[in-house]
Amino acid sequence: MSMSAYYQTRAAHHGVVTSDWLAQSQEAATRAVVTGGQEIVDGGKSGRAFSVIDEFNNWRKQPDLAEAVAAIRALAAVIRNSEAKTMMELEIELKKASDSLKSWDTTSISLTAGCDLFMRYVTRTSALEYEDFNSARSRLIERAEKFGEISYKARKIIAMLSQDFIFDGCTILVHGFSRVVMEVLKMAAQNKKLFRVLCTEGRPDRSGLRLANELAKLDVPVKLLIDSAVAYTMDEVDMVFVGADGVVESGGIINMMGTYQIALVAHSMNKPVYVAAESYKFARLYPLDQKDMGPALRPIDFGVPIPSKVEVETSARDYTPPQYLTLLFTDLGVLTPSVVSDELIQLYL
Amino acid sequence: MPDTQALVMTFLTSLKNATARQTAELLRSVISQQRVPYTNQAGALIDAVKAVGEQLIAANPVELAVGNIVRRVLHIIREEDLSLTTAAIGELNLSAVSDDENDDDRDGNTTLSAAAVAAAARSTLRPPSLQTLLEDTPVSAAVPQTSSSGAADKSSRSRKLKHDVIEAVNELIQDIVTCHEQIAEQAVEHIHQNEVILTLGSSRTVSEFLFAAKEKKRSFRVFVAEGAPRYQGHLLAKELVARGLQTTLITDSAVFAMISRVNMVIVGAHAVMANGGVIAPVGMNLVALAAQKHAVPFVVLAGSHKLCPLYPHNPEVLLNELRSPSELLDFGEFSDCMDFGSGSGSPLLHVVNPAFDYVPPKLVSLFITDAGGHNPSYMYRLIADYYSADDLVVQRRAIAGN
Repeated sequence: MSMSAYYQTRAAHHGVVTSDWLAQSQEAATRAVVTGGQEIVDGGKSGRAFSVIDEFNNWRKQPDLAEAVAAIRALAAVIRNSEAKTMMELEIELKKASDSLKSWDTTSISLTAGCDLFMRYVTRTSALEYEDFNSARSRLIERAEKFGEISYKARKIIAMLSQDFIFDGCTILVHGFSRVVMEVLKMAAQNKKLFRVLCTEGRPDRSGLRLANELAKLDVPVKLLIDSAVAYTMDEVDMVFVGADGVVESGGIINMMGTYQIALVAHSMNKPVYVAAESYKFARLYPLDQKDMGPALRPIDFGVPIPSKVEVETSARDYTPPQYLTLLFTDLGVLTPSVVSDELIQLYL
Repeated sequence: MPDTQALVMTFLTSLKNATARQTAELLRSVISQQRVPYTNQAGALIDAVKAVGEQLIAANPVELAVGNIVRRVLHIIREEDLSLTTAAIGELNLSAVSDDENDDDRDGNTTLSAAAVAAAARSTLRPPSLQTLLEDTPVSAAVPQTSSSGAADKSSRSRKLKHDVIEAVNELIQDIVTCHEQIAEQAVEHIHQNEVILTLGSSRTVSEFLFAAKEKKRSFRVFVAEGAPRYQGHLLAKELVARGLQTTLITDSAVFAMISRVNMVIVGAHAVMANGGVIAPVGMNLVALAAQKHAVPFVVLAGSHKLCPLYPHNPEVLLNELRSPSELLDFGEFSDCMDFGSGSGSPLLHVVNPAFDYVPPKLVSLFITDAGGHNPSYMYRLIADYYSADDLVVQRRAIAGN
């Protein structure tokens, strides 16, 4: 069974894992790296020890680093190690590296979006009349390294923008563990706001447990729910806050499995659903239904052996259409879902 | 400065009837009387306007148009400064190129950095977007290259900035004054022959809109909901009849009963929020819900000065004002229920008279502004055109977010 490297990494960072799942995932990871490395050696220049996929995996291991940042750092490393003498050559190398990264993990949307964003930036920069190739090159590397700061600043901006929406005495429902949402809640706690958090467990990773831990450290009253208890508690909720793995062209989001369910329940009870997502997660995808995206599978450990005749739905993510979302908090400002396609059009067309 | 302070004080005392036009005129006098230093004139103007703006907004936060105009003026100052800067740099480029050929390299570098600086400065005025995500945050004082030009140049530039800003503010005032006509021009496209229009209360924009359609020989009927407790619908009905329009007067509670006979609902607004929601006179939400139930288009007319860049976090609570209960009840008859003196000291009868209602964007079909007709989800675009992101919080010391 193929496994989504992206969700595997997320689980490793934020989830509560059982030992045999861990063994499974490690085995699958080594398999993937080997095949990825071979691709690079066969397709790229011979005799190059440097592999963009290895670089990416190194960066990705850090739990605090966003996917897109890891991707852009890996591409910066490509520029640094490249022997190209002209802008055109460099662009071609970058394109190849970006394509191999994207094909290595097709399920990670921020990876694809980050690569596309950087490639777009490179193309636009090379269009400017820089007389000196080296200065252009160093500028690209510098901007790529700075992107990590941009990403970090983005989370801070999003946290600042959301503060007005969290009023004293409110109850917030969150799903699983999202670093951006964590930043929002942390800042609200630091601003001495009085609020309560209801946190879903987030099976199968159980990343909600991790979030509950972090919130308890901040002295925020937190209540854990199993995923099925969302509708039961929805009437005491004032707002729903989720992160996003990717924001698609329609203004909908792709996020951990269970987000669509929560958005549906919230919509039927007229509760606002707020999404906190950085702008580099905007992707040029337009899923029409749940099965429209490539599968991102993640095996589930039920704790008891399941007979082989029984199928298990192992998809790790779902798509929430824009009509169930109220507002998107991004570093570009507070946006309604219809703004996303506008931004993408400005960037790509 | 003392002159402007006196002006501001008189304005604040009369803020009950403040209009956008008066705010703009006040800010114009503030700007014209402000002394600007040679360097960073725009910064000085912005500070002055922010200082006055803070007081204005604090005096009556519910009057959102005041805050809107303050932010529009700030945006105008930034834009004019930017266009002057790019023009100056453009002149510099020409002069550098036309100069001697000795310092070729230096000139080349200057032109490049100047162009890059201008491009970067231009990008700061636009709201942040995906395109500029990876770019440098440009140096704020983008004007240092003017060291070569003489002092005479600088003073003429400073005068030019004030002059340009005042011209732009005059245009703004003109827009505010003529917004009714511009909206009314679009009446013919929306009101067709033999239609039935419903409206609530009285709004000058709506009445001009209807009169314009009548001028163009459309024959239609109007249902006017009276708009308790101020009953301004009565006045509107009289005006419509005076113009020869067939009018029917109904109570607010009868809207749901009559809505099935109506083709379109046309109303005015007190303010339009950034998400496309509308702050309108009380009772409007009922009309919007009734219209949605019967699939009747709900059209909101609003001048662009009513477009507010804020989001309604808690619209029922924060953006409403409670008016005097005397509009509802005659105190004489109810004095025993509302008496604080007798009994336990707290009266059993409370009378609440909120002035405004919030209509969520999904109930609105169309916004007709002086800039044309738009979807509620498109309003953010107009906000990006009219306002700068830095001015959303009008305080003297901007909050450093990084």
